[in-house]
Amino acid sequence: MISLAQIASIGRGVLIAVTPLVLLFLVFQIFLLRLPLRQVADILKGTAIAATGLFLFLVGVSMAFLPFGRAVGAALGALNGSWLLIAVGALLGFVTAWGEPAVRILADQVEEASNGSIRSSVVLHTICIGVAVWVGIGMLRISYDLSLLHLLLPGYGLAILLLWLSDKDFVGIAADAGGVATGPLANSFLLALALGASSAMGGQNAVASGFGLVALIALAPTLSVMVLGSLVRLKMRKSGA
Amino acid sequence: MSSLFRDQLLEALQAVVPLVLAVCLLQLTVVHAPLAMFLQFLVGSVIAVLGMTLLFVGIDLGVLPMGRFVGAELPVKGSLALIMAVAFSLAFATTVPEPDVLVLSTQVDEASGGAIPGGVVHYVIALGLAAFVALAMGRIIFGWPLKYLLAASYALALVLAAAAPPEFVSLAFDGGSVTTGVLSGPVIIAVSIGVSSVLAGRSALGDGFGIVGFGSVGPIIAILLLGLLRS
Repeated sequence: MISLAQIASIGRGVLIAVTPLVLLFLVFQIFLLRLPLRQVADILKGTAIAATGLFLFLVGVSMAFLPFGRAVGAALGALNGSWLLIAVGALLGFVTAWGEPAVRILADQVEEASNGSIRSSVVLHTICIGVAVWVGIGMLRISYDLSLLHLLLPGYGLAILLLWLSDKDFVGIAADAGGVATGPLANSFLLALALGASSAMGGQNAVASGFGLVALIALAPTLSVMVLGSLVRLKMRKSGA
Repeated sequence: MSSLFRDQLLEALQAVVPLVLAVCLLQLTVVHAPLAMFLQFLVGSVIAVLGMTLLFVGIDLGVLPMGRFVGAELPVKGSLALIMAVAFSLAFATTVPEPDVLVLSTQVDEASGGAIPGGVVHYVIALGLAAFVALAMGRIIFGWPLKYLLAASYALALVLAAAAPPEFVSLAFDGGSVTTGVLSGPVIIAVSIGVSSVLAGRSALGDGFGIVGFGSVGPIIAILLLGLLRS
């Protein structure tokens, strides 16, 4: 069961995260913005609701997904058959990114900024597919003990190549997608999964394998969104636009 | 308000249910965790859905408007230097207190065998991030293409990674996930969209995004440099 001390520490974390945001906003408000007080009150009220929500979300995640991630990882690591581990890793990578709140917020921001021409569901699916592929590769790395650099070098090399192939509007979205995919769900559930799997397989540095996974999850959606951007550019060129 | 709540509850359910179903499937087939642990999982999932609902409601009502107002007012009322200073301070002030950063800096401290104190690492990460976010804001104002900045910073990170001690490499690239504060990330992006939509010749879609992603290369380069200093 989750302890009171854990809940208190999550509460402290949320408070510490939201305080500088609010203080900075108030400084801007006093010296620069001078918005009507009603609007300021609405913003502060909304921020308080968001902070409460984040607190509950993190409590729920640490109750539900942290212990289960480890249990699932240990059970999978004990199975003989790395292909199963890769398949389940990919599935869990997809559904984790699907549940990550910041991914959805970014997808909505994209739909709004593009006036609906890039649908949020397209961004969401592209990010989730990217994470699925790279969590699968991450599981492969754990079972074959590959070095992280051997995945990061080609990965970032591919990213540099895609920067030139992708439609310009997708480059920024791709970069931000890498930032949001490694949210609280991925950092607890997938990290625990990787730690559980690598310690169940034994013999390796569990901590190092587990942590490298986060680096791959950060790279994953950057690549998949730029692949989408390249396809969009190809399609526009074909249609003569 | 109540219809907003209902919509966000649906969105939160849609987000979390597939993950819960996947875990239930694994529980039945391979995991077989004790019943008490499984019940705790279900209760935790319900709390997480409620929390996510409130989070989305609050982001819509308060957090995104906050970023949008700051972003839209800055180019009108402030100078270039001020816009970059605001981006820098927003990124720095929201990164320093992130629990992830504390965990990461303790790990760098350990990887260096105590030679690089965690306290220093903590501020180096936050500085690296804030400097890159400010640079990304500068790019919007000056109209530099994002792809050159990203290509140069990825290439620099790879060259440094090849030279740095291996234990720093995985720490450094994990540091790229530091910018993911669920509250600060959307605010910084909203500020950047606000600035791009006000400036002439910039578009919210093409120029507004990328600030958090480019910012996240900052900590990677900062930690790799620390590793090189150590060796």
